[in-house]
Amino acid sequence: MEEQNLQAIIEEIWPRLKKKHLYPEIPMPQIGKITESTEGESGKDEGVGLEMKQKQMTINPDFLDLMKNKMPERKVMEALLDHGITHYTFCPWDFHTHLMLYAEAKKVMGDKESAKQVANYFIDVIADTHCVKKRSTEIPELHRNLKKGKVEEVIASLYQKIWGIHLGIESSKLSGKSHEEVVRRLARIPYMDRSRWQESIKKFARSIKPLLVAEQKEQEGGGGKGESNPQGEHDLTHYSSEEIDHGLRDYAKKTMGLSEFRDVVEDFSDELKEAGYGMEGGMGRGRGAPIDADVLFYMKLSENYSIPLRKVSMDEKGVLHPHSHTPWEVGSPFQDIDIWTSFGKIMPGITQTWKKREGKGRGKMEGTPDCLIVIDSSGSMINPRKNLSYAVLGAACATNAYLRNDSKVAVYNFSDAPMGGKDILNYTDKKEEIYRTLCKYFGGGTALDLEDLIPLIKGRKNLDLFIITDMKITNLEALIGFFGQIQNRITAVHIGENPYAARFEKAVEKRRNINIFTVKRKEDIPHIVLGTIREYFNPTHKG
Amino acid sequence: MDIPLDQIVQSTEVVMDKIRWGYEKLLEEEAKELVWMVQYNTIIKAYEVAERYIKEIDYSAEDIEDFCFALENTHKIPYLIPGPAGVYISALCNYAEEEEIVLKLSELKTEINLIGFRLPKGKRLLVEGDTGDFTGIGIEGGELVVEGNAKNWTGAGMRSGKILVKKNIGLHTGEWMMGGEIYVGGRVRGLGNIVEGKVFERDKLVYPGKARYPNLYY
Repeated sequence: MEEQNLQAIIEEIWPRLKKKHLYPEIPMPQIGKITESTEGESGKDEGVGLEMKQKQMTINPDFLDLMKNKMPERKVMEALLDHGITHYTFCPWDFHTHLMLYAEAKKVMGDKESAKQVANYFIDVIADTHCVKKRSTEIPELHRNLKKGKVEEVIASLYQKIWGIHLGIESSKLSGKSHEEVVRRLARIPYMDRSRWQESIKKFARSIKPLLVAEQKEQEGGGGKGESNPQGEHDLTHYSSEEIDHGLRDYAKKTMGLSEFRDVVEDFSDELKEAGYGMEGGMGRGRGAPIDADVLFYMKLSENYSIPLRKVSMDEKGVLHPHSHTPWEVGSPFQDIDIWTSFGKIMPGITQTWKKREGKGRGKMEGTPDCLIVIDSSGSMINPRKNLSYAVLGAACATNAYLRNDSKVAVYNFSDAPMGGKDILNYTDKKEEIYRTLCKYFGGGTALDLEDLIPLIKGRKNLDLFIITDMKITNLEALIGFFGQIQNRITAVHIGENPYAARFEKAVEKRRNINIFTVKRKEDIPHIVLGTIREYFNPTHKG
Repeated sequence: MDIPLDQIVQSTEVVMDKIRWGYEKLLEEEAKELVWMVQYNTIIKAYEVAERYIKEIDYSAEDIEDFCFALENTHKIPYLIPGPAGVYISALCNYAEEEEIVLKLSELKTEINLIGFRLPKGKRLLVEGDTGDFTGIGIEGGELVVEGNAKNWTGAGMRSGKILVKKNIGLHTGEWMMGGEIYVGGRVRGLGNIVEGKVFERDKLVYPGKARYPNLYY
């Protein structure tokens, strides 16, 4: 009953709040109990007023009850919702910003938990200050009435200073000169300037670090966990899978740094797994398997680059059509049953089902063939798990191009193949498996075993080849000879310029089905055009 | 709605611009073609130029720390020349109103030389992080605390006062030291030609003490 009344208040104030915040795309908030998710602590958390999960805000009626004597429920709800909405409309705005702030905080704090705490405080300060500056809000009143620990007192004192609103914190109450100094430092930070958040959070962390360290020591001594944030915690549950996806992609592109990306993903790996993110091919993998941060880095980074793929007329149209009858058996699917030849009966021995085949003959529809990616991971190539490898990035972009067109990709990762330095993945559309094979690094000599390629090419019509290497291959001549014998479309990408690459280019310049591209920097990757046939002659398009 | 934060940030920016301007003038006058040699007279002269510009600025201790970080940001300040930068920062510290100045420089990638130059009596400078060469040279009675490592020539020419380095210190420590005390929590890599004063390594008096030759490598 009580919850219904509260929900009615939300429905009354929500249109006004939406208008105030310029109509954000957020659903109507709800009333509901908020359960503490920490292990070992059961029961509901009265101290948390607001929870945000994938844009859905939930207000805790127990918290409203706690605040009843100090502030009317309506005002508490308004203040909490103002705070929650501002997280979506201003800070952190998206997952990428959240990651960036966390990464900067970690540079100062050094450990994951403190960095998360700092990022949370920073985000809250910005959100509340934005609300106070830009909108009329009850947030100052809420802060005046909230229960405060030592750090919260300092934050409240900061708010007093930067908002010019008295929140009941007397300077004599602040424990010592050091806290006044902290407030003075914190007050100088330009919270409203988004372009300086990266620098600002570091300053924020530097200033607040001694307080958090002291609080941590106290908590460890007291054997308890700290108080929850009444305005809600900031974790990955705020974001949907698409937002996390986007955020990781933007973060990978911005940092271009494998180790930095890996650090952040590993720190958030539990939360990412809880969000069900990053795990492909669920059977047998589940949440027990760790997220491979390096594979994820190349996956996200490659999504920023799109390589055009020229389609080819396929011999098989790819359209299934009914070809012949076959007796139906119990357990077989029903959808292909031919009711006419089955005399309308569903019985073993009588019922006939259609057997379908792909249409033959040259169709007018263009299609995308499968692709065999040959990638060099010898000692002269960069280790993709230590530094950004353009070879792996290029191969990843090619993979995406083919998979996007519903084709399959096989991978031949080689170093000194005759000595066993190779990894072969058969044709598949499982992105994660392909990426894992691409990211493997042997670091040995450089020799292809052409016998390995033959089974992957044999029997496949219209197969594309994508080879990415620095061309410093010991049996380069054999490879050139091999390419001379096949008619498949070959895209050869060489990393950097060297005499071997020049030799290769010279040897294959007359081959119409081979196109060569050079990659010196990441900006060269989008210039790769998969499967181009040289302009002056294309027998497949003769008509 | 205008809030006090806007005013605070704006005035901070104005002060920072003035401090930056003073540094650029110092470079213009003293670091011709961006080359600056550490010598007795060049340090003195640079300090005098720095004093001239700093006296006109109304700044606080926090501005000094912000300036240290702004030095690494090439968008804000195009040239970080460690010598003049250190002299300038020392002048800022010496002329600040506060008696105690804390510079949290652990995240700074560069180690600043000449920090604490001529730190006067009654002033305490605490640096969190490592410092470069010539730390605390010519201290005039002040107290300099380095919560990290210091490099070479620490305390050279100091007349009085105290230097406390929590970790290790480099070569030529206390070169031409005329008085005062240097406390090192870690190891002293080498002593300079000390005239007078005391040097302690891990609470143990190493000068004057058992015979030690300058720059004993161990």
